[in-house]
Amino acid sequence: MHLGLWVVVLSLFWLLLSGYMQPMLLSFGAISVLLVVLVIKRMANVDQELKQVDFRLSIFRYLPWLLKEIMSSSFHVTKLIWSSPKDLSPTLAKISLKNIPKEKRVLYANSITLTPGTLSLDINKHEITVHALEAASVDELNEGAMERKIAGLWPKKGEEK
Amino acid sequence: MLVLDIVSSILLMTGIFFGFSGAVGLFRFPDFFTRVHAASITDSIAVILIIAGLLLQTSFDLNTAKLMFILMFLMITSPTASHALAKSARHGGLLTLGESKQQQKQQKEQMQQQEAGQ
Repeated sequence: MHLGLWVVVLSLFWLLLSGYMQPMLLSFGAISVLLVVLVIKRMANVDQELKQVDFRLSIFRYLPWLLKEIMSSSFHVTKLIWSSPKDLSPTLAKISLKNIPKEKRVLYANSITLTPGTLSLDINKHEITVHALEAASVDELNEGAMERKIAGLWPKKGEEK
Repeated sequence: MLVLDIVSSILLMTGIFFGFSGAVGLFRFPDFFTRVHAASITDSIAVILIIAGLLLQTSFDLNTAKLMFILMFLMITSPTASHALAKSARHGGLLTLGESKQQQKQQKEQMQQQEAGQ
């Protein structure tokens, strides 16, 4: 990843957080950006797993959908809390990962955890172990709406070309 | 401004309601794993609603950007924290409700068999 890009991103971040435009504070900002970039440059030699940061804007098409999912499942779990927790049917299940591109596994697992009612317990190369409050939510995951959404927005690198 | 204030307070109130529900669920749910689910309501929807409500209270300046950053980081860190908790519980050998029931059943059967053998 270009160090120049990091300079731009970090400077913007610093400016947004501080908002002061006096020369002294600006120079402090410049110094800290430089320091961070130096560290990044040195660490790049150590880190074997270099990843291109994904600058495609697909995430902005994914987030509203995820928000809608969070809303609906939150209502559901809240209903469970206030009705009777005796109705729970806690389930363990393994969800296959074969359709998810490698870089998006974290996104998938985190989305599962972020939607109330399902919780990703463990992840390996082939599957995620999911704990769900209700057996129905596991069926929903297996139906693969979330999987299709992610696989559709970020096609596997090989298929893309 | 009045409309914004009303919308913002509605968002804040529903956010508080969901946060409170999460806390109640934490007490009402039977075991560790189900309790994490209850806490995840507070993590996700309550945070989204409360920050959305606060966003409408700002005058759309730097504070807005800061709130957006807070929301973004919470959306990344809170599922990571839940996952870390649940994963270490799992690897530490904590059983889920169904599994521990099964284990008790097996132990009972073993005891009965031993008694029958004697």
